[in-house]
Amino acid sequence: MASSTRTRTSAGRRQAHGIRGILLPNHDTALNLDDAIRALAAARRLPETHLARWLAMDEPSRSAFLELARTIRLRTGQIILALDLLGEIAVRERKRIPEILAAPELMRITARAGSAPERARAFIGALRALRFPRLRQASERLERQIAALRLPRGISIVLPRELGSDVLTIRLEVTRATDLERGLAVLADRGAAIARIVAMLGGSDEV
Amino acid sequence: MKFDLDAVIIEHDERDSPLARRVLAALAPGIPVEYVADGREAARPRPGTDPFGAGKRRMVLMRRRAPFLMGCPAGSAQFACCGYQVMILASNCPMDCSYCFLQEFVADNPAFQVYSNYSAGFDEIDRMIHAAPARQFRIGTGELADSLAFDTLTALTRDLVPFFAARQTVTLELKTKTDEIHNLLELDPRGRVMVSWTLSPERVWRTCEHRTAPPAARIAAAGKVLEGGYRVAFHFDPIIAYEGAERDYAELIDNLLDVIAPAHIAFFSLGGLRMTPALKSAARRRFPADPMLLGEDILARDGRLRAFTPLRLRLYRILAERFERAGAPVPGYLCMEAPSVHERVFGAAPSNPATIGARLAHGRSTTDAPKDSSQ
Repeated sequence: MASSTRTRTSAGRRQAHGIRGILLPNHDTALNLDDAIRALAAARRLPETHLARWLAMDEPSRSAFLELARTIRLRTGQIILALDLLGEIAVRERKRIPEILAAPELMRITARAGSAPERARAFIGALRALRFPRLRQASERLERQIAALRLPRGISIVLPRELGSDVLTIRLEVTRATDLERGLAVLADRGAAIARIVAMLGGSDEV
Repeated sequence: MKFDLDAVIIEHDERDSPLARRVLAALAPGIPVEYVADGREAARPRPGTDPFGAGKRRMVLMRRRAPFLMGCPAGSAQFACCGYQVMILASNCPMDCSYCFLQEFVADNPAFQVYSNYSAGFDEIDRMIHAAPARQFRIGTGELADSLAFDTLTALTRDLVPFFAARQTVTLELKTKTDEIHNLLELDPRGRVMVSWTLSPERVWRTCEHRTAPPAARIAAAGKVLEGGYRVAFHFDPIIAYEGAERDYAELIDNLLDVIAPAHIAFFSLGGLRMTPALKSAARRRFPADPMLLGEDILARDGRLRAFTPLRLRLYRILAERFERAGAPVPGYLCMEAPSVHERVFGAAPSNPATIGARLAHGRSTTDAPKDSSQ
């Protein structure tokens, strides 16, 4: 796990997903974990309620999350979202936060090269997929069905956001009358397959 | 079933009401009784770590200052509603389901209030009947409170059942998660009273439905009231879309149909767990370790968190098909869902709310058109 440019960690004190002692930037004074969390929270202007939630975690979880926040430089909103998602996954899966952060799909993101903002975005996306596994699978299955339609340019099928309704949107863009005829013919040709997607959206398949 | 009370508070002016006399006569020794001028003040939250939970153990017997009858508060033009009329006899509930909407709805007056002037509600019903003599109404007392919790103490059913039994165009629905049916079995409902149970799989009951009767006890109680001349109905609401829910809910229906023949079920309803963000926050504060509050819920168009659509509708279909295969048609409806969802689940568009309400009062189908199997 890479260390943040703003923070130096002592390799001797570092564990797989936790930091026992943390050195603040430009200081040689070792502060305890909670002071380091407070310092980061202050730098990010993290609201007090979220800081309190972070500090209420057990020590390995507090530490692992601090390491993560520094490594991929989570912004304030991302810290809040990640705290929410991790807390919910922990209850759903009955896992501790260091265990969750050790998931291969998350480790790959934190360890890989790339800019910190890009990794932070990818991390939140991966965390969300862990929190909503069946939604992710159902969305992917529907997206595959839509891709298999091989619709020409100018026709698109849009799923409801986060599969939050049973309404499928079909968009047809035309500039000429022939575009319209061609588009309607394509839709008629794919009618059965589109109807199948509509049925899937209505829970016809195992989710 | 026994519930704990920390105190009973009675409004001065209501101390001689029949309700207060019955409660005081049946109250277990040692429970303090206090008299106040205005029960509304006593119903307010009191300081503490869980004012809502504490309110459940504080019974306030008081006059209701607002009308007793109202349309179901869940009703909305965006949903295919069931035409349910609500008679508010009490507010809050001694049981403590982690998902309960009352955690948000009565957060500002969480005491368990029972209204001593409930005979005024009977007058309202008579006026309603008089205004629409040809119409059938289904009136329930289980929206802001459980209809039977504490009935051993309040004995409200001893007045309710005879009142409805004597009227031809209103059906009373007593909705409950208890097995407190002792009073009911001593009364003659004359076909005008329905007792409905909310049913959940064992896993939901153990995780979420604190102090309620186990599902098997609810089903057994339904069998007994059926023999006592009552009609019975079942609400699968909220349906919680946890891993394994499909199997558990199907098994629950099988267990129900083993005891109650489908021909004897007046209707069933389905409703997915839905929570406003504020309710979810309140519920999570009170039940932080409950995984059932953390389903794959997303913010739906109505501003409520619900299981994402294909998952939620899949569960509805599984349950509806289970009833469909049961051998006798059982009318069903969906709570707080759009007409398009009703159509996908039951294969036909729903009727308007008043018609559905009248049909449910008779135990008839809630749809107008025959089922189209291609849906």
